[in-house]
Amino acid sequence: MFADNWKISLRQIRRLFIMDIFGMSSLMLPGILSSMSGADGIFCLLLGMAGGMLLLFLMGANLKHIRKDYYSYMKETAGQLLGDIFMVFYFLYFVTLSGYVLYELTTLSLTWLLPDGSWLGISLILLLLGVYGSARGIEGRARIYEIIFWFLGIPLLFMLVLAVGDVKTAYFTPIASSDFMSFSRGSLSVLIFLLPLTALLFLKPFCRKPEKMVSCGKSAMVTVIFLNIIIYLILLGVFGRNTMGVLDRPVITLMGMVNLPGGFFTRQDVLMTAVWFFALFALLNTGIFQGALVMRELCQMHRNRLSLWVVAVIVFLVGKGFLEYSFLTEVFEIYQIWVVLPGMFFILLFLLFLHWARAERKTQKGGNG
Amino acid sequence: MSIQITSDLQENIRNFEELFSDCEDIKKRKIKVGEHLEQECYIAYIEVTLSSVDFKDSAVGKLLGKLRTMPEQELSDYVKENVEDISDSQPFPTIEEAAEGMLTGDVLFFLNGYNKALKIPDKGYPGRGVYETESEKVIRGSNEGFSESIKLNTALIRKRLRSPHVKVKESFAGRRTNTNVDLVYLKDLIYPGMLEEIEKRLSEFEIDGALDSGIIEQLTERKKYSPFPQFQTTQRPDRAAMAILEGRIVLLSDNSPVALILPATYNTFVQTSDDYYSRWEIASFTRALRYLASFLAMVFPGLYLAITNFHTQILPTDLLLSLAAARQGVPFPAMVEVILMEIAFELLREAGVRLPGANGNTIGIVGGLIIGQAAVDANIVSPIVVIVVALTALCSFAVPNEEFATAFRILKFLFIFLCGTLGFFGFLAGVLAVLIHLSHLESFGIPYLAPFVGADLNGYQDERDTFLRLPLDYLKKRPVYTREGARTRLRLYKEKEQK
Repeated sequence: MFADNWKISLRQIRRLFIMDIFGMSSLMLPGILSSMSGADGIFCLLLGMAGGMLLLFLMGANLKHIRKDYYSYMKETAGQLLGDIFMVFYFLYFVTLSGYVLYELTTLSLTWLLPDGSWLGISLILLLLGVYGSARGIEGRARIYEIIFWFLGIPLLFMLVLAVGDVKTAYFTPIASSDFMSFSRGSLSVLIFLLPLTALLFLKPFCRKPEKMVSCGKSAMVTVIFLNIIIYLILLGVFGRNTMGVLDRPVITLMGMVNLPGGFFTRQDVLMTAVWFFALFALLNTGIFQGALVMRELCQMHRNRLSLWVVAVIVFLVGKGFLEYSFLTEVFEIYQIWVVLPGMFFILLFLLFLHWARAERKTQKGGNG
Repeated sequence: MSIQITSDLQENIRNFEELFSDCEDIKKRKIKVGEHLEQECYIAYIEVTLSSVDFKDSAVGKLLGKLRTMPEQELSDYVKENVEDISDSQPFPTIEEAAEGMLTGDVLFFLNGYNKALKIPDKGYPGRGVYETESEKVIRGSNEGFSESIKLNTALIRKRLRSPHVKVKESFAGRRTNTNVDLVYLKDLIYPGMLEEIEKRLSEFEIDGALDSGIIEQLTERKKYSPFPQFQTTQRPDRAAMAILEGRIVLLSDNSPVALILPATYNTFVQTSDDYYSRWEIASFTRALRYLASFLAMVFPGLYLAITNFHTQILPTDLLLSLAAARQGVPFPAMVEVILMEIAFELLREAGVRLPGANGNTIGIVGGLIIGQAAVDANIVSPIVVIVVALTALCSFAVPNEEFATAFRILKFLFIFLCGTLGFFGFLAGVLAVLIHLSHLESFGIPYLAPFVGADLNGYQDERDTFLRLPLDYLKKRPVYTREGARTRLRLYKEKEQK
């Protein structure tokens, strides 16, 4: 029957990635960008998107050569050892990302939803849900986000429209006032939040129309950046640069301030936290799923459940680490900027180069023969 | 080992009566036939299945009448040549098969010199006939309902689908009950593999008795621990016919007025027959209401607890104060109060269902009004909780399918617990868990959440009949569970002419 084919549609991929990259970026980027570059944060978002486009271009160029799956392609192109090293790199990226998202999601829940709750209890519930969500593979996951997409999107857009009334355009200035370093760091931060898009590389065997995956990724990224620009402008217009820079999660604070027509609900921050709850959960779920997928391929494990549980334990330990040792957040930031980001580009460029060199050699051999 | 029927009538009678010894309800009669009444035949039947004792108007009576006018030596040939092939009569070569034939409610006929037993239909088992359905009431449309007779039920479907492509595949379930199970479908519309799948599942078990379609449903479901039903049920022939027109398969079981429809999705459970008989605006409005009702039936008491116990900042101060005032004097925590009220309501519902008609209604009034008011007056519960529980009950009644609504009624208690202990976090975690569960659930290979998920498989056409039911001329294609290439359900010739 057709539901058992473990393939997902382009719409499902698009929505999956929108949820994946929207949650963290909209929650954290406004604070980061405003403290670094103020109103120029908009340009940081656009420049970051350009970087994302470059990443997608490189991914697309590699995807064309992938016949079976990404791991096989890496092994065929760069050899077994390098293929394994690259897989370990991706594995570390996905599990550390999941661990960080677990930490953030639990903190979000404790701050806005259940202040008296225990970190352990909440994180375990979230992890269990993450494992449960990944248990039926990519198709089950894709269905979740396909269905909740509009349930979260419509209230968010509605609240943003209502918030426009409080915007003071004077706060949009000064423009082009930030220094080059701050601007570059802001743009790099945007690009880092777009890195979950690399999961596209692993989705080729699961996609019904793999040739359109990259354009699907592009449209997801453009949608998220567009939403982030709107959110950023509204936040900047409502709070101003200085206030926004010190707020913990400015977008949720904004949701608490917006007044609904009719005045029945006085504060919507709790209700609107649902948007980020689901979006962050999507990313947590992606991290667990991708981590387990990479682990299964790397260790040639045949049991899906076992790999999921192993990854879940690692993710929990990483998340717990972020809670216990605050310096790990800074280490994670350094790891993202200096290891993950260059690593992602390097692997893609390196594979392309090897592929090109091999093709050239073949052509030369053919010419000589 | 089977006992063969021979030409010796006395031997056949002995074997047959041995099999049915101590069965006083089985009537066995020897009757003289032939023009000189020198030949003997034997008929056996269950007491109530033959229309009259003297057989005047029955098929058996007419056959006997005819046999009494014929020479004795021609009787056997006559039966062989003229009676064996007439519709509904069926010859059996063994005593066991003949016995099974008789137990379906027909008359068994043995003749001396004839080495088979003939099954001749007559009145059959007593049944209710066609009555109005008790559930699935509609404002517009047929009021006919299925009855306990499978033959009547298949006829009610045939009456609506007069096409030779409608096929009825018969099988039997229950080693001792030998219950007829019919699979009704449109051969040119069903999705490839669907029929084979249900046949495979039907062959995967042997039970001593299949007294209702519910038993077959439970034995053929794949996700047995899910609260959500994976078969749709209906007592309405028009709903069954509509499902068949969508390429789905209807499973009818003898002695059960409830037909099973497969595959089933969340969307099909929320649809009703008159969604398609009424204008699209009304249909869409009520459909959207039902979706909302199905969600609220599950989460409303939980949400009340989450907001009043954990997130009071959401509500305006005036409302908050009136809520607090309403709870003054109530000795229980809010969660216990809600659970008590919900259990009381479920008890009332159960009592109302089990009691005979008028008493059942009385229980509703006595329970709902008198006990509710008394509980509020005695400060056992607050009035707001009574309102919350009543609204939740209304929402569950608005879900058109009882089995489907029950899933939400059960999950409601999970949400009460989650929201009562974890607030809005519990609510979100619960919604997520249910959503993940539903996204994993499939009914015969069709995602339970279709067409909200996987709509691309049918060019996003199925989304036109979900929260909203768009005008009928927009619903040109059949849903995704129809065979590919046979999905056109409506052609508009006017549109063609205009082009």
